[in-house]
Amino acid sequence: MRGQRRLRIDPIACDGIGICAHLAAELVRVDSWGYPILTREPLDAATERQARAAVTACPRRALFIDER
Amino acid sequence: MNARLHLVEQEPPAPQLLGGAVYHLGPGAGTMTDLEPESLAVHRARFGPRPNASGTDGDALLTTLEAIGLTGRGGAHFPVATKWRAVRAAGAEHGSVVVANGAESEPLSAKDAALLELRPHLVLDGLVCAAEALYAQDVVVWLHEGAHAARAALTRAIAERAAAHLPEPPLRVVLGPGRYLSGESSAIVRALSGGPALPAFRREAGQIARINGRAALVQNVETLARVAVAAYDGADTATTLLTVTGPSHRAVLEVATSTRLREPITAVVGATQVQAVLVGGYGGSWAPWAQVSELPATDSALRPHGLSLGAGVLLALPAGSCGLHLTAEITTYLAESSARQCGPCLFGLRAVADLTAELAARRVRRRDTARLRRFLTEISGRGGCHHPDGAVRMVASAMATFAEDVSAHLHGRCLHEAGHRGRRG
Repeated sequence: MRGQRRLRIDPIACDGIGICAHLAAELVRVDSWGYPILTREPLDAATERQARAAVTACPRRALFIDER
Repeated sequence: MNARLHLVEQEPPAPQLLGGAVYHLGPGAGTMTDLEPESLAVHRARFGPRPNASGTDGDALLTTLEAIGLTGRGGAHFPVATKWRAVRAAGAEHGSVVVANGAESEPLSAKDAALLELRPHLVLDGLVCAAEALYAQDVVVWLHEGAHAARAALTRAIAERAAAHLPEPPLRVVLGPGRYLSGESSAIVRALSGGPALPAFRREAGQIARINGRAALVQNVETLARVAVAAYDGADTATTLLTVTGPSHRAVLEVATSTRLREPITAVVGATQVQAVLVGGYGGSWAPWAQVSELPATDSALRPHGLSLGAGVLLALPAGSCGLHLTAEITTYLAESSARQCGPCLFGLRAVADLTAELAARRVRRRDTARLRRFLTEISGRGGCHHPDGAVRMVASAMATFAEDVSAHLHGRCLHEAGHRGRRG
């Protein structure tokens, strides 16, 4: 059985560019300074597509999908 | 960090770390002149030869550490045996790096400095035991570059050990930058790997840290002193090392774990009435005196109350002082101590510090405190290290403990007008 997948972020790599919040609106909102706040909910088929798009598009390669 | 230590009372030495003395620290930094580090001869007379910890003796030591439930005294109280098992398994194959962390960054803490300056051989015995048990190929003591007294004591102690031709690996002292977060364990690993002494983020949780491919153990110096005591006696000391700060001075004390916290605090503040205590240091929690005074001096007893001793730090706020003012000063310090790597810490803590300062200065409205509370929940858990978590926890605990002050400040009043004198507003 596959473990639960979650969208996660390396906050040191993140520069708050914000593309993720557009590509994965259900998973990411931005804080008062433009840095992403990620949902802690596990991904389902629909949100995993969003998450993968955000991971691929991040110019800082700060996002990743964690399976546990 | 290198405050002047004065020995005030000397009680009979028990199997303890510092013994029953109260080490009073004078105001301001200076080098320790009154007390000498314990020599190798005196140390050996007290404890005997250092027990071996390689091979099966390493297994026995690990079993002992697990049985006594020793936890890390850098502040996190993580079980030592758990950490050691992972490094030992990896070290058996490829060797390891064992680091004694003496970079005591918490401004209110002085117990690590006291241990290094007074009992360097106890710390080094623990370090050597760790090195043997974990197959270390590199054995390091990591200090802040400004820790002159600790460095002098260690240099002398290491020279004594070399002169005595002790069967142990070479020990080297490495100096890190003086800033707050260079004592954070991932920053030490990064620095010893050739990078900057700044916290690192690891994407795979539960993986052991590595320095140039070798498994790394970073362990606080008090923890290592306790490892040494466990290796000698097969037990822990049943004591807690505390640094207690009152309005006029600070002291390092070793107390029995059963001692109520009011005793060491009263020993430092005297007849001063205390209204609240910051437990666990700058990244700890404020709690009212009535709650703290009756709790025993051990981390495990504090946990159910949502408190942690952290590195054994207690700051007593006297009645008549404004807790919000002190909180604002501490928050500003923590915001300025950010490693400036993560947005939520760099920008978030700055905003929290500004709002806390405005709250202390009575220049806030209800919407500002609402914003402050929102920031506190927003920032928590979003840094690469736990620095921002500690800062927002401390501010949140201040808002709860000083709730009456918050409400008075919102109305432009302060319950402790006199407590503002001489402080920045």
